[in-house]
Amino acid sequence: MALVKRKELSLAEKLYLPEIARGLSITLTKMFGKSITRQYPEEPLPTTAVTRGQPRLVERQDGHLACVSCGLCEAACPAYAITIDGQETDRPIEREPERFEIDMLRCILCGFCEEACPKDAIFMSSELELADYDRASLVYGLDQLRRQRPALQRRIDYIHGINERW
Amino acid sequence: MTIITVNGREVEADPARPLIDACHDNGAHVPHYCYHRGLSPVGSCRICQVVVSQGDMPPRVVAACRTPVAKGMVVNTEAEAAHGARKECLEFILKNHPLDCPICDKAGECSLQDNAYAEGQSECRSVEPRRELAKRKSLGDVIVLDQERCILCSRCVRFMEEVPQTPQLAIVGRGTHSRVETWQDQPLSGNYQGNLSDVCPVGALTLKDFRFQARVWNLRKSASTCPECSRGCSVTVEVLRDGPVKRIRPRHNEAVNGYWMCDEGRLGFHEREQRPRLAAALLAGASGLETASASRVIEVCADLISAAERPLLLASPFITDEEAELLKQLSASCGARAAVVIRDTESADADTILRTGDPSPNRRGLTEAGLEALSPAAAAAALGEADCALLLGERSAELVGFEALCALPVKLRLVLLDSYAPEGEIPALNACLGIPDWTERPGTWTNIDGHKGQLLPARPAPNGTRPLTATLRVLASILAESGTPTAADIAEEATR
Repeated sequence: MALVKRKELSLAEKLYLPEIARGLSITLTKMFGKSITRQYPEEPLPTTAVTRGQPRLVERQDGHLACVSCGLCEAACPAYAITIDGQETDRPIEREPERFEIDMLRCILCGFCEEACPKDAIFMSSELELADYDRASLVYGLDQLRRQRPALQRRIDYIHGINERW
Repeated sequence: MTIITVNGREVEADPARPLIDACHDNGAHVPHYCYHRGLSPVGSCRICQVVVSQGDMPPRVVAACRTPVAKGMVVNTEAEAAHGARKECLEFILKNHPLDCPICDKAGECSLQDNAYAEGQSECRSVEPRRELAKRKSLGDVIVLDQERCILCSRCVRFMEEVPQTPQLAIVGRGTHSRVETWQDQPLSGNYQGNLSDVCPVGALTLKDFRFQARVWNLRKSASTCPECSRGCSVTVEVLRDGPVKRIRPRHNEAVNGYWMCDEGRLGFHEREQRPRLAAALLAGASGLETASASRVIEVCADLISAAERPLLLASPFITDEEAELLKQLSASCGARAAVVIRDTESADADTILRTGDPSPNRRGLTEAGLEALSPAAAAAALGEADCALLLGERSAELVGFEALCALPVKLRLVLLDSYAPEGEIPALNACLGIPDWTERPGTWTNIDGHKGQLLPARPAPNGTRPLTATLRVLASILAESGTPTAADIAEEATR
């Protein structure tokens, strides 16, 4: 069995105080330097057009959803998070969703729904926060998903830009 | 049979049928809109063009639906000339076809959509606006017409002329003003209107009751047999998310119904879908019917039958051949009288096309199995004579009549095995147990001509129901002297 011979400490080391002073000096310099801590949730994360947050439905200026409940996002969704039932309208656009549910606990924020949508009706918003006390209230219905177009405009412009490049 | 060559392969073709059938029968893909096997060919859409050469004749592009098969024909469905001709036709058809696939109910089962993806071009070269016509024109109670989507294939016009032989639709106007209409916008009549939405190759004629109900790719489709009359048309039952039946469509069966079915069969499911189901096992207790376990209900039922002197097993004509066989075994094991309630044939409901007017889908199978046929009145009388009765099968309570059931003496021990909850309280009822309905269980019905129609489960049966076959088997084995099954046997039967 080998014995480990410990290093003899110097007087300064034995005194312990110089190391305390060195540690405190680091704390003091950081205290007055630039802060790297974010005060979340008071200070939210900055988002960009590329941010793929939770999907939201676009409400047009006339107050109706742009969605015609064609079901392509439902078909494209790899997590089976979307469920849609359509109904007939009196408007020239003959169909609108009666029920549009996204199970946010299933949603993996992949953006396939946005890509599949032929009507520019669903976009990945910059909304990222998701917390509640029970699962049922995280199945978002039409009321929770509906957003005015300006709220999604940055993302809409970004996606249109991508599509133009294609 | 004539020998022709299709895409380099020598095949046999029926000279009485157009060339397009020979192509389809031998695996060649030839798109078609105006052509339908059940209707006469007209060659109006020209999308079925193929290249045909014969003998010394140079190859020519012809419409396969209007070309008769001739000996020595060499057909190439994939030739460049054929594809080119089809693509040009498609461009003309799409010229006025609106881009509303996301809204259209036909999307997903539309041959125009499929072909446009496969062969068409993504951009429209035309700068003219598309024609604007009526988008939702009601044609009676069953059908809605969207004239903009119509590609003027005239299948609907020919269907009305040739199948129910009540011509009501016509293509009116000329050139770009052509459109499908009825005379002075009168609503369509007749019992075969629903087929118009099946023959329409695009979404121009759609069913009112199915309009915007579901996207077709979300429907689970299973083969079944229509329960509305003893014709027993082969149908496809389409179910959304294991829940409601959304649509019933004819399934091609040359021996029974061809390509068609009547509207009563097509739309009859709505009324039944709304009826409250009997999805529980109930036993008569101190305070009326109380929930019990299914095996307890079966035990009680066996006790009642074995204690009875004149037991009666009364079935509805909706039970399958397999269930009838088990019913016979049960009646043999307990010496009970086995009968089936058969309503009279209403000749007013019959027509010369499909409807027989006989509302019992399995009348022939059950009478051939040797079950005694009783009219509803005779069945009520037989119930009055018996001291214990097992009323079994879908709609059995309804067929005997709720009033007749309520009037039965309380000393009768009545057990009900039905899919639907009885309307009101039946004093004689001792126990009841829910069973799956015709969309939820497998089986066979024998139609009026002796053809066996298959039922396949289209959706899971509701919780609380128990297959009639399992119940009958358990009852028969309890009542047979061979031995009394234990609770474990019953559980095992239930998992079959």
